[in-house]
Amino acid sequence: MTSLDDYVATSPEIERPVAEAEPSRYSLRHPKSRIGFLRPKVWLPLVVMLVVLGALWEWGARSMPYLLPKLSSIGEALADEPDYYLRNAWVTLWEALLGLGLGFASAFVLAVLVSEHAWARRAIMPVAVVLNVTPLVAIAPVLVVAFGFGPEPKLIVTGLICFFPILINTSVGLRAVPPEVVQVYRTLKASRLEMLWRIRVPSSLPYLFAALRIVFPLSIVGAVVAELSAPGAAAGLGTAISLASTMNRLPVVFASIAMLAVMGSVLLLIVTIAERRVLHWHETTRGAAG
Amino acid sequence: MRTAAIEVRGARRVYGFGASAMVALDDVDLSIQPGRFVSVIGPSGCGKSTLLRLVAGLEPADRGEVGIHGVSPEEACAAKMVGLVPQTPALLPWLSVLKNVTLPQKVNRAAARRRAAIGEAADRVAPPEPPDMAELLRKAGLAEAAHKLPSELSGGMQQRTAIVRAFGLQPEVLLMDEPFSALDEFTRESLQEQLLDLWDELKTTVLFVTHSVSEAVRLSDAIVVMAAKPGRITDVVNVDLPRPRGRDLLKTPEFHQLEDLIRDKLRGAWHTRVA
Ligand SMILES: Nc1ncnc2c1ncn2[C@@H]1O[C@H](COP(=O)(O)OP(=O)(O)OP(=O)(O)O)[C@@H](O)[C@H]1O
Ligand SMILES: [Mg+2]
Repeated sequence: MTSLDDYVATSPEIERPVAEAEPSRYSLRHPKSRIGFLRPKVWLPLVVMLVVLGALWEWGARSMPYLLPKLSSIGEALADEPDYYLRNAWVTLWEALLGLGLGFASAFVLAVLVSEHAWARRAIMPVAVVLNVTPLVAIAPVLVVAFGFGPEPKLIVTGLICFFPILINTSVGLRAVPPEVVQVYRTLKASRLEMLWRIRVPSSLPYLFAALRIVFPLSIVGAVVAELSAPGAAAGLGTAISLASTMNRLPVVFASIAMLAVMGSVLLLIVTIAERRVLHWHETTRGAAG
Repeated sequence: MRTAAIEVRGARRVYGFGASAMVALDDVDLSIQPGRFVSVIGPSGCGKSTLLRLVAGLEPADRGEVGIHGVSPEEACAAKMVGLVPQTPALLPWLSVLKNVTLPQKVNRAAARRRAAIGEAADRVAPPEPPDMAELLRKAGLAEAAHKLPSELSGGMQQRTAIVRAFGLQPEVLLMDEPFSALDEFTRESLQEQLLDLWDELKTTVLFVTHSVSEAVRLSDAIVVMAAKPGRITDVVNVDLPRPRGRDLLKTPEFHQLEDLIRDKLRGAWHTRVA
């Protein structure tokens, strides 16, 4: 895909003069500077917020030592055995992403079916909507009974949780092509597959990414819930949390929770970056992408 | 006589059932010879877009027949003989202008063979090679825009892109539904000129829906006047003004006479509706 930047760079009319008149994108004087985050206006509010939250936490930890560990002891727990947390984080991440992949693949295939055939839509969507409002994490214990302590129940719970946002958003997106566009390509007798691949799937991408932004962090929730309901499981941050809480080791519990928060944020960041790349043409990312 | 490029006989189209039935087209007859530029004008709701959709094969007639160069609209579309320019540009926002206008060549690749077969049957020359789209964009004044996204263009440039996309197929029949209605007066006039230039070069048959009397007179060889309830054709007026039709022509008395004539016919169409 050629981006606009490539074009501007090779176009002779807009070469030197503009580039010299404007400050570099790596200077703070540029209005859309790449290092704009260094301006105090940008980072100061967050830093103040973090300091306030940290102070509140420490105050809480001092007054209720049996409920909240001190931040320093969480840090120590992490620093003492980084391997332990990384190993368990890796297991949970694996479960989350594999489950997400399964949920994504099946949801996408069904979304295509549902958007192409009215009968499939009538059969599947009501069931999907009802299942979507059912608290799926509640079936985790049942799945553990059925499949044991291996990875299967975790993948199924994660996959199910991720399934519905993707199915619903993608099936809406696949049908959100303006009628005039459909008319133009219908008069060209573009085949169903051509319509799907060249027009419907690209138009559904903004909807799909909206779902992914929900579902990537949610996949970790699914994996952790499944681990929590399988107390004998071997590894994973959920397992680490339930083990540590039975032994009343609060710093370990919170260190594991911190790992989960970081993992969720990193996944969200990855989705956001991918979205900016893929949807550079879409209103929601235009301007922001610079 | 040659086979008509567009032939509509006794076409009727009804929406809805029973008491709420709406006769969008009633007994419409229309025959357009190849290479002619024909406009359709009439009050809102008289079935202009419906007529265009029947010719484009987007919906079937309830009664009557539609033919394009002697074949059904479906066959003509399968052979990519029909180009459509809707009221909105209908560009794909993730493709550059150049990719937008070349996409029609990439879909339905079997069309060339089908078109050759129909061409032989109708005893006409086979269509030439697909044109260089970058060149066509340049002719339409879109050279700088070729690698931009549609959202970076003005409305007029977007609509021009849609026209280039349709012409790029070198269709036998070009159907345009109020393509300039969302544009300002000046953009509209310059686009009319460019449309006439492209049409002059590629010699296709054009069926052009419009609300503007002066646009119809300026562009057309013939103007079809329609009336509503039920949607029908009330008049067909030939426009015998010389071509090319530059800006000067718009000020001549002949041009104004024709405009007045069409306005009278349109008023007539309104009155038959009330009566
Ligand atoms: N899909 C449809 N379902 C029901 N009624 C329709 C449909 N399409 C058109 N109609 C009706 O048929 C009549 C003719 O519609 P059409 O769009 O062809 O009019 P038009 O001449 O193009 O009007 P305009 O100038 O406003 O575009 C209108 O009364 C409209 O309400
Ligand atoms: Mg219309």
